[in-house]
Amino acid sequence: MPGQLYKAAAIVGAAESNQIGFLETPVTSLQLHIEAIRNVCDQTGIPISRIDGVFSTGWSTELCEHLGIKPKYIDTTAVGGCSFEMHVHHALAAIYSGIIEVALITHGENGHSARKIGNGGAGNYARGGGTQSPSHEMTVAYGLAGAASGYAHAMVRHMHRHGTRREDYAHIAKVSRDWATLNPRAAMYSRKKHPFGGPITVQQVEESRLIAWPLTILHCCMVTDHGGAVLVCSPRVARSLRTRPVWIAGAGEAMGHGNMLEMEDFTATSARQSAEAAYTMAGMGPADMEMAMVYDSFTITAAITMEMLGLARPGEGHLFWKDGRAAPGGSFPVNTNGGGLSFNHSGMYGMPLLIEAWRQLSGTAEDGIHGDPGKQTRARSCVVNGTGGSLSTTGTLVLVADD
Amino acid sequence: MSYHKPIPPKGTHTLPFWEGTKAGRLMLPRCVDCNRVHWYPRHICPHCHSMNLEWIEASGRGTIHTFAVQYMAFGGWAQEVPFVTAFIDLHEGDRMLTVLRGVDPKKPEEIRVGAAVQVEFEQADESTFIPFWRVVDGSQGGA
Repeated sequence: MPGQLYKAAAIVGAAESNQIGFLETPVTSLQLHIEAIRNVCDQTGIPISRIDGVFSTGWSTELCEHLGIKPKYIDTTAVGGCSFEMHVHHALAAIYSGIIEVALITHGENGHSARKIGNGGAGNYARGGGTQSPSHEMTVAYGLAGAASGYAHAMVRHMHRHGTRREDYAHIAKVSRDWATLNPRAAMYSRKKHPFGGPITVQQVEESRLIAWPLTILHCCMVTDHGGAVLVCSPRVARSLRTRPVWIAGAGEAMGHGNMLEMEDFTATSARQSAEAAYTMAGMGPADMEMAMVYDSFTITAAITMEMLGLARPGEGHLFWKDGRAAPGGSFPVNTNGGGLSFNHSGMYGMPLLIEAWRQLSGTAEDGIHGDPGKQTRARSCVVNGTGGSLSTTGTLVLVADD
Repeated sequence: MSYHKPIPPKGTHTLPFWEGTKAGRLMLPRCVDCNRVHWYPRHICPHCHSMNLEWIEASGRGTIHTFAVQYMAFGGWAQEVPFVTAFIDLHEGDRMLTVLRGVDPKKPEEIRVGAAVQVEFEQADESTFIPFWRVVDGSQGGA
């Protein structure tokens, strides 16, 4: 008897770039991708705008940005030459589950041209654009260095639009530190653990040194070492284990852009779309959430995200921290581990979000050492939102505790 | 040449832009089919997905969409902190990143979102002229 995914999807067209082989005029990987995509869409009659899932071994968001599309399923599985067969498998599952209808699996690799125009002839497994990404070409001259330099532009636009002041966002850093002082694992748990650890004031956040105005260093996450893993299992396996399951009620993903140059609205992220997908899958909404774990690479990231998740009106995300709702003992706990601002942030903070959300909803958020008052909340549901790139990509989960 | 900051690598489809800068012209890609300008340069129109693209000479005018003042930078830019970066809304449509001229980085509260700016070009090496934008709005003063 066939499995559930038997004939759940079909390959409906296949095409190549305009030229293949040992090309005389060097081309970039990106150009090869785009030509092949244009050709397969012409062949099938499917408009590029109907593609709602993108699978490539490159930086798939960069390909989407170049095409001007914003799919709701984005996959960059890159494990060598077999990746494309795996992409078909992943697309099959995504189509079967009803998340997408049109999956683009795309390849562009200038193995020959790269010997002339760079990248050592190794091809471009890593990035869609290879060494010749036009977004890089048009931004590299202007001195931006690291995430803070870009995110500061979003903060200025957010302040401009909503009439907020930097101090409004400083409360996010202060309250997150309060949570960290309840978490012995947090890098900024105490002054004993780190010379700059322990409680901080809004004034200290404001007066710390400038990184990229208006962001001071205490508006920015740390850069630490961190490793983490989670396991996701079927209900049958989940029920058989000694741990308490936390159920995935909803999930969604979305992208706005790759490069900040392409950010349409500097006061919004694609979390509005990824959250909507997650809430819809869960049959729940913002009002059903009892806590949140949101990416806080910077204070502004957390503020905007609360707005995108439907928890606050535009321009009012920061009020969760300013009025104490998000704080220890507050009515709506947020970032109970101390966040990327004060717990840990190694570069990609999405994993710590998952770990803390599981701990809270499985009732294991207490470390049970040092006799601390602790950070375990009574929340039974949690919205988790990761933000990637330069406010570029988002993944939202709605998690609920076991009955 | 005394230019010590990053010089962009030149792509295979962006040469008309770089040729334009040598003559003091700001060239932008426009879609022949839907008539819309886009930035950065694509192989395909990100609005209508036509591959029928052309280059037009832009006015070189725009306004500040948002900005920030950089206190941490690397390489040649490290010697120039603080400096003001900005995203410019182009008169013809879409947006460009720049380092802003004609503003005081120490007085960010005096820099106005929406202020008018004009493009200018700085020679970085024999074949590269990099566009920068200068505030021309009277209320900004000059530097």
